[in-house]
Amino acid sequence: MSISILETKNLTHVYSKGTTSQVDAIRDISLKIEKGELVGIIGHTGSGKSTLIQHFNGLLKGTSGTVLLDGKDIWEDKSKIRNVRFRVGICFQYPEYQLFEDTVYKDIAFGPTNMKLSENEIDRRVRSVISFVGLDESYLDKSPFDLSGGEKRRVAIAGVMAMEPDVLILDEPCAGLDPKGRDTVLSLISDYRKNTGSTVLVVSHSMEDISKIATKVLVMNESRLAYYDTVDAVFSHSEELKNMGLNIPVITSLFLKLKEKGYDVNTDVYTLERARDELLSLLKGGKSE
Amino acid sequence: MISDITIGQYYKGDSFVHKMDPRIKILITVLFLVMIFMCKNFLSLLLTGVIVAVSILASRVPFRMFLKSLKPIIPIVLFTAVINIFYIGGGKELLSLGFITVTSKGIFTAVFMAVRIVLLIMSSSILTYTTVPTMLTDAIEKLLSPLKIFHIQVHTLAMMMTLALRFIPTLIEEIERIMNAQKARGADFENGSLTERAKALVPVLIPLFVSAFRRAYELAFAMNCRCYTGGEGRTRMKQMKLKASDFIAFAVFIAGFIGVIMINKIFGVVI
Repeated sequence: MSISILETKNLTHVYSKGTTSQVDAIRDISLKIEKGELVGIIGHTGSGKSTLIQHFNGLLKGTSGTVLLDGKDIWEDKSKIRNVRFRVGICFQYPEYQLFEDTVYKDIAFGPTNMKLSENEIDRRVRSVISFVGLDESYLDKSPFDLSGGEKRRVAIAGVMAMEPDVLILDEPCAGLDPKGRDTVLSLISDYRKNTGSTVLVVSHSMEDISKIATKVLVMNESRLAYYDTVDAVFSHSEELKNMGLNIPVITSLFLKLKEKGYDVNTDVYTLERARDELLSLLKGGKSE
Repeated sequence: MISDITIGQYYKGDSFVHKMDPRIKILITVLFLVMIFMCKNFLSLLLTGVIVAVSILASRVPFRMFLKSLKPIIPIVLFTAVINIFYIGGGKELLSLGFITVTSKGIFTAVFMAVRIVLLIMSSSILTYTTVPTMLTDAIEKLLSPLKIFHIQVHTLAMMMTLALRFIPTLIEEIERIMNAQKARGADFENGSLTERAKALVPVLIPLFVSAFRRAYELAFAMNCRCYTGGEGRTRMKQMKLKASDFIAFAVFIAGFIGVIMINKIFGVVI
């Protein structure tokens, strides 16, 4: 677990440098992402999350600093940047708007075809990935434009998964979905990591979603890296997170309120089990007011 | 790359030129285009150049913004200049290589035309840099309103222009987003033969059209919900009013216009 698959060193990106509209999108980001982790990336709107992930597959090039994939600078050979994109797959926000082919099959096959894989391999991947996202093979001949919103989303995610990237990055995969669709997509992501052993990064502004599946949490605040640690460690800063304008899980804010009222409780609670234990020990200890 | 396009790019400011009535600005710009082509000698061209320079200074828009707007037309300027050098005869013969002859008049015309085109672009850039696109279309609607007697739906035309301008940045953003998504799936827009590159655009254009239609429907719904029925009986929150300064600017400009005609008369026609 100690091999870091993705690493950034002092990565900085400045938009429209030298003009009045100059913006530091990300500033001095150094981090190491270990193989097989499921990292949740959270931050307020405009905190630099989306800019950061676009550096991981070379869609953006940092103004300064480097991005290392398996210890190698991704920009070492500019002509090989496409290979980086096959190894680090990004599924953007509202990916259903990228669908373009006349059948679901062809659309999922777009990535693998660009990788110049054999027909058999493409076929295998398309079929395995469509069932993985919970749609049966009858969908493959349908037009992607005839599907429902949630189905489109799953097809689009499948299109990125079909490249079988070592690192899968999803930007707000649950945005605009109903609670059921949200749970489906979240468990899909978590299963994908378990089945393939790949590293997965999920951008979200919902801490609740992240806390359900992530092994580590990366918090961006005002273009900088605020925290990058285990879920427990990050949630122990619940008060600071709240000050950054992040929605902390409802359970956590309940415990923050309890503490405000003078009860002696820990505030890094974000799961039901932890909450139960915490409340039980509070009642047993009788440490009230 | 795509975001370099400067159509309808407004440069925020509160200069005198920004505050001018957009109707007057459009009138002046149109008349100015006529004026540029009425210049028949270098002295009148110099006068129009000075007017452009003064307007640019008054607008307080940085000069490099105007250079940026010139960049895309450099090939056109060069092309016209070269064509003029070779095809305009008369005057002293300077160079003769087989079928190509370069004359003094040819060079003269080439320079003249190049300056004209540059002035043309710069003067219309002043208008677009200092006027919000919606103000522009409002002004066009007002200026064209006499056409209503010919049953031309001026309001509809103006509304279409407003919407088109409004959606340029949105669609540019959309294109960038879709291109990024397809690049992430290994699409290659930069390499390959011309046909390969044209084919590579299909995965961008289809989602773009789909989303453009979706946006159009949504917008139509939203407008319907707010009881939009066209221009009939519609009033404005911000009425355009001509100020004294607008008349002064217009008067100064007319003086320049007459100046050009006078200079042409006095110093003769060179071109």
